Amino acid sequence: MKANNTKTWSAAIAVTLTYTGSAYADGHTADVYAPYEGTTLVVNFPAHPHYNAVLEVLPEFTEQTGIEVEVDQLQYLKMRERQTLELTKDEGDYDLISYVVFSKADYVYADQLENLAKYFMNPRLADPNYDAGDLIDGYVANIGVAGGEKGYLPGPTGSLFGIPFGSETSVLAYRKDIFEKHGIDVPTNYDQLLEVACQIPELEPGMGGMASRAASGHQASHAFLLHLAPLGGRVFDSEWNPIINSPEGVAAANALKTIVDCGPEGGTTFGPAEAAASFQQGTSAMFMDSIAFAAGFEDPSKSTVVGKVGYALHPEGVRRGSQTGGFGIGIPSNAQNKEAAFLLMQWLTSKEQDLAIAMAGGNPSRFSTYEDAGLNEKYPYSATFGEALKYADPDWRPIIPTWGTINADIGTTMSQVLTEGLDPQEALDGVAERARAVMDEAGYYTWQ
Amino acid sequence: MSIASTNRMTPYLFLAPAGLVLAFALFYPICYMIYASFLDWNPSQRIGEAEFVGLRNYFKLFGDDAFRESMGVTLKFAAVVVTIEMFLGVGLALLLDRNIRGMSVLRTLFILPMMIAPIVVGLMWRYMYHPTVGIFNKTLKSWGFDGIPWLSDGSWAFASVVIADVWQWTPFIFILSLAALQSLPASAIEASKIDGASGWQQIIYIKLPLMLPVLIVTLLLRLIDSFKVLEVILVMTNGGPGLSTEILSLRINRTASEFRELGEAAAMSNLLLIVLLILTFTMFIYNKAQDARAARLRAVEEEV
Repeated sequence: MKANNTKTWSAAIAVTLTYTGSAYADGHTADVYAPYEGTTLVVNFPAHPHYNAVLEVLPEFTEQTGIEVEVDQLQYLKMRERQTLELTKDEGDYDLISYVVFSKADYVYADQLENLAKYFMNPRLADPNYDAGDLIDGYVANIGVAGGEKGYLPGPTGSLFGIPFGSETSVLAYRKDIFEKHGIDVPTNYDQLLEVACQIPELEPGMGGMASRAASGHQASHAFLLHLAPLGGRVFDSEWNPIINSPEGVAAANALKTIVDCGPEGGTTFGPAEAAASFQQGTSAMFMDSIAFAAGFEDPSKSTVVGKVGYALHPEGVRRGSQTGGFGIGIPSNAQNKEAAFLLMQWLTSKEQDLAIAMAGGNPSRFSTYEDAGLNEKYPYSATFGEALKYADPDWRPIIPTWGTINADIGTTMSQVLTEGLDPQEALDGVAERARAVMDEAGYYTWQ
Repeated sequence: MSIASTNRMTPYLFLAPAGLVLAFALFYPICYMIYASFLDWNPSQRIGEAEFVGLRNYFKLFGDDAFRESMGVTLKFAAVVVTIEMFLGVGLALLLDRNIRGMSVLRTLFILPMMIAPIVVGLMWRYMYHPTVGIFNKTLKSWGFDGIPWLSDGSWAFASVVIADVWQWTPFIFILSLAALQSLPASAIEASKIDGASGWQQIIYIKLPLMLPVLIVTLLLRLIDSFKVLEVILVMTNGGPGLSTEILSLRINRTASEFRELGEAAAMSNLLLIVLLILTFTMFIYNKAQDARAARLRAVEEEV
């Protein structure tokens, strides 16, 4: 009883101290947020594990700043459709949007996203302790910057339109128990990966080697591109000539076909959710996709493989190249509360909140978060993910306005390779030819 | 004189509000769509900013293999689905056109599939077709057979989509045919019985011909609907594998949202509209011809 009392007291003191601390912090930052107190920001977020974690942190923002936030959460492809309509209006309803990385090209090209320079230049808005150098540069290059090299990459002419938030790279998740049982080494290169993928179904009847996206359309294209970059291929060369039908491209298509053939049953219709579910339910031994799924694998309410999952870097082909993708946040040009939106954006991507969101199951955007001891204790895989980011390839797929058409074509053609036995070389020759026509029409060969 | 002309104008005056509504609600959107099909229009632009490209969208479509394939899939889907549904629906109606106790309950049960939202139907079937946990493959495997790649193989995926659509829409034909059957003149059927017609003869020579006008309208409605089916297939296969189930409305949807070519999507919609109009007119002309023939026969009878 006595001991209990002492505990209660020390807890109370701790609470008081924390409270004083945050009250001091409030007093310190109140000047910044005061002009916007009572404002209601409308933000558009995708339904995604990272943003579910964000929702847990968001009430804290309102408490600290007095700015209300209303969240409109949509499935990510639906979100893009809604934004397309929303951004063409004179006065938009959204003050801050999360956008899928391939929307960057469309939105920036149509002048629908605010250039962030004027906000970072404004001393009343920009936090001097923001430490932008700590943001993961591969993500910033991929999601935030436009106008540099090739138009969609950074370079001397580029500038910043968004900040990565909920960005992802790819890692290899594997079943430690299965690998140990059969004495299999974790694959570090593609030859080993493909070998292990086809070895598993023989060793463990009923279990697929690796679960992969493969459904016709965007998913099959994504899966193919995931192998294209490490195997040394690209979709276009530096003059926009399609080189997807190179030997590297064919190798990537063959790799995907091997993986799907040796994968779980019905794999040719898998989207990312189905593939992750297959791994979670123990019907496949490997899963190579976005890091965003890791939190789900460790969640006992959904997963039957908690504690049995190991993580490794995306295997090396002729080079290392893991995907860069996911989401960034930006301010629409037609937003009505741009400055308050910037404050929210800065707050969400600050060191403190990046860590808080990561602790709630989100994807960090900062190197410092990955190095945090607390995070590594809670999510032991964080160190591997941090390592994987060093090889994140911002150019694993082009982010240009014509990408939607070409991406869909790659996806349906790959699906034909996977399900109808179309020859990969022939398939990719077709894609290259059609891609050239699309690029020609869009004016990419004007200067040649 | 002026009173006379005012009198002549009166009916048009009364028609005017309806005409106005029609013009805005029907013709404006259609004209908008036709106009849009001549534009190179990206969803990030307003329609005023889009570039006028004449017939380029149409030429592009005719040269596009994927479009031709999806047109082919649509025609095949509509033909297969409507044929099966007509046979099943009319057959069921003929079987159930009798006084069974609890008929009204049965009828309600039969039309349940039609009342379920298409998205839900798609999801339901997708899970039933699931390769490992779906009911079909589980049952097959428990009987010792191999599972069927319901949605992961091109031809099976097409069959699977057809099955789902037949499941959902046969009741529609069933209920309309049943209504038609029950409103047939009892005298004709009794007369045929007295003349000694067998059950089959009654169906073939009396019931079906008398039901024909209703059947034709039903067929037309189903045909139009099957050309436009979207949600069920979107959820079940999203057009895959390859392009094996990518029907036209799905392609239109993808062209607008994924490829961001609103002009091309509008051009496709127009082509679909034209196909449907041709179908409707054919049916209309056929009906007219039938009526004319009946009138001629009646006139001949009267003369005799």
